[in-house]
Amino acid sequence: MKFTARRIPTNVNVSRTHPLREFAILAGGLLAIAVGLYLALGLAVDLIVPRISMNLEKKLAGAFVGRLAESDQASDATRSVQAIVDKLQARCALLPYTITVHVQPADAVNAAALPGGHMVVFTGLLEKMTSENELAFVLAHELGHFAHRDHLRGLGRALVLLTVSTVLLGADNDINGMIGQGMQLTELNFSRTQETRADEFALETLACHYGHVTGATDFFDKIPAEADPGRFGHYFASHPQNRRRIDHLKTMARQRGYPSGDLRPLPADLAASDASSP
Amino acid sequence: MIDLIVFLTLLALGYGAGTWAEKRHYRSIAQREEATINLPAVTLKSVAVPEDNIRASRLVCGSAVISVDYFKRILAGLRNIFGGKVKSYESLVDRARREAVLRMKEMAGDATVIVNVRIETAAIGKQSRRKNIGCLEAVAYGTALTVAK
Repeated sequence: MKFTARRIPTNVNVSRTHPLREFAILAGGLLAIAVGLYLALGLAVDLIVPRISMNLEKKLAGAFVGRLAESDQASDATRSVQAIVDKLQARCALLPYTITVHVQPADAVNAAALPGGHMVVFTGLLEKMTSENELAFVLAHELGHFAHRDHLRGLGRALVLLTVSTVLLGADNDINGMIGQGMQLTELNFSRTQETRADEFALETLACHYGHVTGATDFFDKIPAEADPGRFGHYFASHPQNRRRIDHLKTMARQRGYPSGDLRPLPADLAASDASSP
Repeated sequence: MIDLIVFLTLLALGYGAGTWAEKRHYRSIAQREEATINLPAVTLKSVAVPEDNIRASRLVCGSAVISVDYFKRILAGLRNIFGGKVKSYESLVDRARREAVLRMKEMAGDATVIVNVRIETAAIGKQSRRKNIGCLEAVAYGTALTVAK
């Protein structure tokens, strides 16, 4: 057999596709899938909220409760706030939840509603309060979020992940722990409509409980024009919107004919903590 | 943010340096293949030469280790998600094999023919725990025969 030297004209072992082109297709595809998933999670929130049973919600709460218990102040302040909430709930704000109040030491002038009936009140908020009525309005506002189950929607996409992992893996799984740890309790997102509905709920509750609505808008007036929005959380929104919320509450009080009345002083425990703060 | 900058820098560096090295290597391969085109390396176990004519026979081998660059590794990583041909590694295997054969021919010197050529590949650094240092080794070996005219 005669050997003839021949050059191989093309390299069949290496694909001709340009690597950058391949990279663009693959990375683009991955990005598109991630974006699609993100959007789908956003849409899933509204679908999933009405389907979450009380029982399931209690399990979801597990992601946060451990963390709250760690820094809970089992103080007189907690008991006083809990007492106000209980009073509001007893007659006027009838909810399928048993509300547990957690007072957390933080500068945030804010309160938050968490799954399973856990209400977080930050000490920064308590320091700003001057009357029981004013505090009751803020608490009733949070009760309003519970009433409309906004507190679930407020968790946003995290809620979908939380629900799926709880249903599939049980209440105490690593994913829930991670979400619970990573969640900024002051960063729940509420829409303008949700806030308005909670405001209305709070005003009705106040009128029902005290017989008048004086003090309802006091808190909003305290938010200074140049305040740091992060500190005031969902009570801040933007300043013009606060104006709008006050006007809405006043109009509603006028239309319904809610009378005005005397403010009740803060319970001694809260007033004391107020005075001792710098 | 810093992580992203580091990642993109490595990616660009990997692509730039990797492409440059690969082009240079292919130029060198083409040139040397041309130079050694008259030394056949075949997989046949024997050639039709009378045994008396064989002046010398000896084992020759050549090996080459080629590393993957950062860009190719990321590209292969993306392929790991979607599946399909890992095109970014094809040129590495091709270069390693051809370089190994060229080195084997170099070792053969003025032999007439290399018979019974085999090529084997091995992954190097695959087991290292911390980072997967993807290197590929190709070994080519055969029997170089020097035949009297």
